[in-house]
Amino acid sequence: MLSMQNVAKIYRTDTVETHALRAFSMEVAEGEFVAVTGPSGSGKTTFLNIAGLLETFESGVYKLDGSDVSSLSDAKRSNVRNEKIGFIFQSFNLIPDLNVFDNVDVPLRYRGFKSAERKRRIESVLETVGLASRTKHLPSQLSGGQQQRVAIARALAGEPRFLLADEPTGNLDTQMAASVMALLTEINQRGTTIIMVTHDPSLAEQATRNIYIRDGQVSEDSSAETLSAPEAAA
Amino acid sequence: MEIGPIWRALTRNKTGAILIALQIAVTLAIIVNAVAIIQERSRLMARPSGVDEPNIFYLSSIGFGDDFNERVTIQEDLDAIRNTPGVVNAIQSNSVPLRGGGWSMGLQTEPGSESESSGVAVYFIDEHGLDTYGLELVAGENFTAADVNWREPQAVEWPDKVLLTQAMAETLYPDGFMEALGNTVYINGNEPMTVTGIIKQMQAPWNGWNGVERVMLVPQHTLFGSTRYIVRTEPGQRDRLMPEIEDMLAERSRDRIIRGMTTMEETRERSYQGDSGMVGILIFVVSLLTAITALGIVGLASFSVSRRTRQIGTRRALGATKPAILRYFMTENFLISIIGVLVGAALAIGLNMWMVQAFSLTPLGWYLVPVAMVLLLIVGQIAVLGPARRAASVPPAVATRTV
Ligand SMILES: Nc1ncnc2c1ncn2[C@@H]1O[C@H](COP(=O)(O)OP(=O)(O)OP(=O)(O)O)[C@@H](O)[C@H]1O
Ligand SMILES: [Mg+2]
Repeated sequence: MLSMQNVAKIYRTDTVETHALRAFSMEVAEGEFVAVTGPSGSGKTTFLNIAGLLETFESGVYKLDGSDVSSLSDAKRSNVRNEKIGFIFQSFNLIPDLNVFDNVDVPLRYRGFKSAERKRRIESVLETVGLASRTKHLPSQLSGGQQQRVAIARALAGEPRFLLADEPTGNLDTQMAASVMALLTEINQRGTTIIMVTHDPSLAEQATRNIYIRDGQVSEDSSAETLSAPEAAA
Repeated sequence: MEIGPIWRALTRNKTGAILIALQIAVTLAIIVNAVAIIQERSRLMARPSGVDEPNIFYLSSIGFGDDFNERVTIQEDLDAIRNTPGVVNAIQSNSVPLRGGGWSMGLQTEPGSESESSGVAVYFIDEHGLDTYGLELVAGENFTAADVNWREPQAVEWPDKVLLTQAMAETLYPDGFMEALGNTVYINGNEPMTVTGIIKQMQAPWNGWNGVERVMLVPQHTLFGSTRYIVRTEPGQRDRLMPEIEDMLAERSRDRIIRGMTTMEETRERSYQGDSGMVGILIFVVSLLTAITALGIVGLASFSVSRRTRQIGTRRALGATKPAILRYFMTENFLISIIGVLVGAALAIGLNMWMVQAFSLTPLGWYLVPVAMVLLLIVGQIAVLGPARRAASVPPAVATRTV
């Protein structure tokens, strides 16, 4: 359902050119829970951003759900993000001036749902993450773990096919991280495909598939029969 | 649109918004009242003087020397001026509208000091007066040469006939100005004068007087030593004739000096100098205030865009299109501005009520308030456009790239 062939991403500044992804190829099937690990600066976030249509790329082919998304207009890309993709960020990225209910409401309004439909979805998804009683709280009145659950609820409310998470537990202590991880596992078991960047090997282990990125390329893939450059796991 | 969440987010971050709303309110209140004053001044300045302003000029002739014969000089001067090609007509008079100085008397319909008299401006003219000033006779008849006599400096008597403006006739006969025609009015308490004609309109020499159109025309030449000639020219001839007539008069008699050569247009300009200065200052203040308010809106919006860069990126990641981000900031500004203009409308009306009382200003036209409200809303939307477009161009990747 996600397929990248020879994708290249170059960041250019005045002085340097960074080849963040080079000839990057990868297939993700429906229902997978992919954990992405790799050294700092190896291109994990870049991969996630391109997968989530947050950034464009220089060359290669990216097909999402079978259709080529490389040349969509900015507005179309926004719609695809809104309908098919849920984002979870390391620092939660909740809107500080909106309460829990309104935060989860954000993508639903961009979707154009009617008020009753939005309310139904928000309540159900907050139930799922265990925060049904906190709708009126502001983000600042919640713990980190609770904030990330709100963010997960927000990502799930539109019933996306995909969840993309960049270090979702990076700002949480071990206990909270474990519960967020349990929640993601549960969501994946209900059928949502998840790609998660993490630096924590013990969390990566709980995913159904592990990918190791180095130097802008997939260097190890736990599901692949043939690896481009077989090496011992770090 | 998502007014609900925009409003709720605004109420949790209100300091800047309140300051800008207040600025908009104060601006509106001041603008509305400044425009009301501008309108009032412009209305005053637009009142017609009643005379043929573009083609009239006047000058003074002051005689000296023992063998200066004022009566003969006036007659010969007037003949000479009237016979100059390009001159329509000319008279001797004591003043002109808008000049500032002149005579005033009181007229009453019943004789005796118990009766109330109404103030009236006096112009001395002869049978050429109506033609020289360009006045319209609406009833009765003009003076004839036989009506005109000579007034000595110490004279207290008045001629038998008088022409009144419609406004003066109405003041004396509130039932209708036509009643004045043929009637006797009294000057100096009990000296009778017959109203032999009514003039449509003419202003007194003082434009600040609230009875500015109450004027009487008296058939007399004056022998006051210093005299004033009023000259009406054919269109386009005025500027040519002014130096010509000045030279001609100076030539005709050496026992006097000619001075104070002035056009009616200059007189009008000088007369309303204060008002047009005030209008200029107010226009400047209105523009400056509007500009400052627009800058305030730009400042607040720019600040809130940079403060919310990551939030904007996140919204983009969650599916907001660029136009949706643009709309967010436009709507936010609209909400702030709406509150500003509503408070401002109340302030404007309050300020005006106070000014009406304190400076006896005319109350402002009701439409000024909604017009100013709409204009300031538009100014706000234009001001916020720049920052809002910057917000819309925040890339969605900001959501994952900034920590
Ligand atoms: N906007 C940018 N402009 C220039 N270079 C960039 C930009 N974003 C990323 N890079 C560079 O691209 C490379 C890949 O960055 P990326 O963020 O994908 O790494 P990462 O694997 O997510 O690292 P980390 O584990 O530290 O988050 C790095 O060398 C980084 O410095
Ligand atoms: Mg990263």
